Amino acid sequence: MKFKVIVGSLVWLALITLAHIQLNVGWDRLASSARVMFGTERPRLIVGFLPVT
Amino acid sequence: MTEHSDTGSVFSSRKFTDFATVSEALAAKEIGASFILAPLAMNLVDKGLPVKVVYLGHRDGTAIVVRKNGDIHDFRDLAGKTVAIPMRYSNQNILLHKMMKERGMPYDSMNIIELPPPEHPTALAEGSIDAYIVGEPFCAKAELDGSGRILAFTKDIWPEFISCVLVVRQDLIDERRDLVQELVDGIARSGKWLDEDPAHRLDAAEVAGKNYYFQSPELLAYVLSRPLDRVKYTHLAPLKDDFDEIMELAVEIGVLPRRVEFGQYADTSFVRTDGQEPWALDRLPTGPAAEAVR
Repeated sequence: MKFKVIVGSLVWLALITLAHIQLNVGWDRLASSARVMFGTERPRLIVGFLPVT
Repeated sequence: MTEHSDTGSVFSSRKFTDFATVSEALAAKEIGASFILAPLAMNLVDKGLPVKVVYLGHRDGTAIVVRKNGDIHDFRDLAGKTVAIPMRYSNQNILLHKMMKERGMPYDSMNIIELPPPEHPTALAEGSIDAYIVGEPFCAKAELDGSGRILAFTKDIWPEFISCVLVVRQDLIDERRDLVQELVDGIARSGKWLDEDPAHRLDAAEVAGKNYYFQSPELLAYVLSRPLDRVKYTHLAPLKDDFDEIMELAVEIGVLPRRVEFGQYADTSFVRTDGQEPWALDRLPTGPAAEAVR
């Protein structure tokens, strides 16, 4: 019973994490953040503009 | 804007065609920073978007444009006419109301309509509007096309006019302060370079025209040199007095529903005072026009 509760909790945690990434974060953004964290990519800042002064 | 800075940080720009979409991109965290209209920044903060004004994009660089052979020769002649503005939440809108107030004209003296900036010159040429007020290069465009004439530059009617400001998301300010500082330093350094030598402006027109604005370099060269103070890139610190004046007028004419305190929408901690600048101007890239005057 204890084993089932632990496995069930871990599966629930994994699913809710995946859903959060899918709905709120975005896989590209997560991958980019990971690359920055591990030093394989420089931090990137995107600046929006209109072609008007 | 360069892809890589001196320290290797990557900055990239994303072009938009209207301010509403920029606002959505900021809210969705698709972009971390943007140049947007000053009253729009105030309004976004009032609505709860966590952004801060950290610097200005430029000073002046806006004009009121009328039909070249039309009968409008004074601001009062705009009474009863249709005048385009870039957006309700623009300082251009506030300036029109400021001028009406100063001249004792009722606020409904003219029919003010919103149009995306690139559509202003065409609408004037087609006759669907009688005048417009917008940032460059869309004032110069009508001049060069032969359809428009400058009624007034903002530098002559509201000196040091503020149009676009640089806003940055609060999470970026909190988590990547170094990156924001680098961005502000880069803008300050570029502005100083642009304003220190007219030849630099011609070089910038060439690069910006081809790579960013997708406008003819000749048009941008005209904007940056006829006259030279048509648009300025120094004195870009966001000053409380300037913004308080905009805020007062915006609330008075109903553009903003309530006053927002300067500290709520602005963060001046990235502004360097004289002598604090860590950059050396001779490290900036040079182009043919800059080389020619050396």
